[in-house]
Amino acid sequence: MSSFNRYFLEYAFAYLMRYRRKNIFIVIVFSLLVMLLATLFFISSSLEYSLEKKFTRLPDIIITKQLAGRAVPIDEKLLSTLLSIDGVSDGVSRVYGSYLFQKENYTMHIEGVSPFEVIYDPFVEKESQKLTECDGACMLVSSELQNVLRRAAFESYFHFVLPDGRLLKVAIVKRFATKRRPDLHNLAIMDKELAKEIFGYRENEATDIALSVANKNEIETVKRKIALMFPNTEVLSRSDIKKEELGLINYNSGIFLLLFIITFFTFFVIVYDKANGLSSEEKREIGILKAVGWKIEDVLSAKFYEGFLISFFSFTVGITLAFVYVFVFKAPFLEGVVAHETTLHLRDFLLEVHIDFMTLLLLFLLTVPLYIAATLIPAWKIAVIDADEVMR
Amino acid sequence: MKRSSFFLFFFALFFSVLPLGATEYSHDYIVKKIYPMGEKIFKTKCPDVDVTAFDSYVALQTYIDTKSSCKKLAKRYREAVGLYLWGSQRVKKHNGPMPSLTVTHTQKCPVCGMFLYKYPRWVSMIEYKDEKRFYFDGMKDLMKYYFEHPQSIEGIYTRDYYTQKVINAKNAYFVIGSDVYGPMGDEFIPLQTKKEAERFLLDHRGKKILRFDAIDIKTLQALDE
Repeated sequence: MSSFNRYFLEYAFAYLMRYRRKNIFIVIVFSLLVMLLATLFFISSSLEYSLEKKFTRLPDIIITKQLAGRAVPIDEKLLSTLLSIDGVSDGVSRVYGSYLFQKENYTMHIEGVSPFEVIYDPFVEKESQKLTECDGACMLVSSELQNVLRRAAFESYFHFVLPDGRLLKVAIVKRFATKRRPDLHNLAIMDKELAKEIFGYRENEATDIALSVANKNEIETVKRKIALMFPNTEVLSRSDIKKEELGLINYNSGIFLLLFIITFFTFFVIVYDKANGLSSEEKREIGILKAVGWKIEDVLSAKFYEGFLISFFSFTVGITLAFVYVFVFKAPFLEGVVAHETTLHLRDFLLEVHIDFMTLLLLFLLTVPLYIAATLIPAWKIAVIDADEVMR
Repeated sequence: MKRSSFFLFFFALFFSVLPLGATEYSHDYIVKKIYPMGEKIFKTKCPDVDVTAFDSYVALQTYIDTKSSCKKLAKRYREAVGLYLWGSQRVKKHNGPMPSLTVTHTQKCPVCGMFLYKYPRWVSMIEYKDEKRFYFDGMKDLMKYYFEHPQSIEGIYTRDYYTQKVINAKNAYFVIGSDVYGPMGDEFIPLQTKKEAERFLLDHRGKKILRFDAIDIKTLQALDE
């Protein structure tokens, strides 16, 4: 190809402007397609990144008691036996769950904490330090939860309805912001014994038992031992939970993939149409250029710029739109497609700007060269024929 | 000097067992849960209590319950602080701190040349009397080096397999022939106590438990086959 000659670029631009309507249509469709693909990729990679961070907050092993295939309260005394397993370095019984505030039809998540015991979630650990400043029943609430309670005229305390019908008054001591952790938007932190009362647990019952294993090599061995010792329990390691959740995202990626294929197919139709040949007008134009004295490589240069201008411009517009949609507006309307409603909620994820460069490159290579090729090839076919033959 | 501190250790250990009998907790529960909890409470609520000023557990516990800044806490928290200070901190103060087996990104094992930062669980160290320290990626390589340079040793340290805490290798138990492989293949797996070693032998199909002095060049060579 001849060296960069800005007149070719100008010619290419003028050429595009001549068939303005058609090219604007191509740009719109192209941008839309890139935007769709990019949105899906951005959300997917952002979700995976968030999940990776979530997994670092999990304990090494979680044990729940299972009856009739459902999790039921586990006896805290098991902890003593579990700690006698050599690989286990620490363990804690945890009490947590959800409570439905019927008047406002709002479900809050309750996390019971015990002072001086290990808390695996660093956010909860930090906030729970403030709990020590009260005596009696008290709790910390998230900003959103506090607003909901205020609507129901609960300002400095709240009445929990216990499973046996009694009312339990719990003071609201402080609120915390959950901007960085949207998955904790409805969280209330309180003392473990208080949480047990609210859930109707007996004195030695807990939701599950979490263990730390010092040597990560030993986790599988410890898991097997626990499963043998206590056959009515479900023992999950961090990697088990990881696999499950990543599996969920990949399942929904199946829908992703479907959309991806459909949009790409549409794009391909456009490209195919372009590649199939130029209209007689376009053919004549190339003939004229050759007659005027343009070499084949000049024609191809101009055609290259034409293709490049449209595809690169559309690509940039598409990526920018997708970026704004996902990271600025947090992808409204897409929740059903991307995440399964009962398990993953898109609004629980802080869609952080975490873009995989490889995905962008993939997107670029899938679209731009294809379009340029589709523009160049028919032009090349025409350009190599003699000028007078073309104009006939 | 070494002998008397050895005896002192056992002495302290004996006395540390006494309070254990007073409660219904198992030894594991105490070491794994009560000591860390007691340490947390001690550091945040009453760090001024000096365990060396007391010559009996009962005197220490009474002081904690009545005069220290922890006296307002619930009974089990005060108990935890007392147990921690008497059973753990006191013993540690006698023995002195263990060296930390942390390595930089560039350090290599002198025997095999592998980068040590990749295998933090396996790093072992020999310290010589001239304060030179050599770090290895496993006890096997350490023993190879040890047999070449056995003089003027200040201490040999490695990590207990289960707890990952730094232990004195000379007092440790080693299991060979297990299904746990280190970065150099078959390894001497270090355990701090005989009970741990026996448990490991069963769980991981080990062949033999050896003490440090029982390891000779033949055993070392047998591992490499």
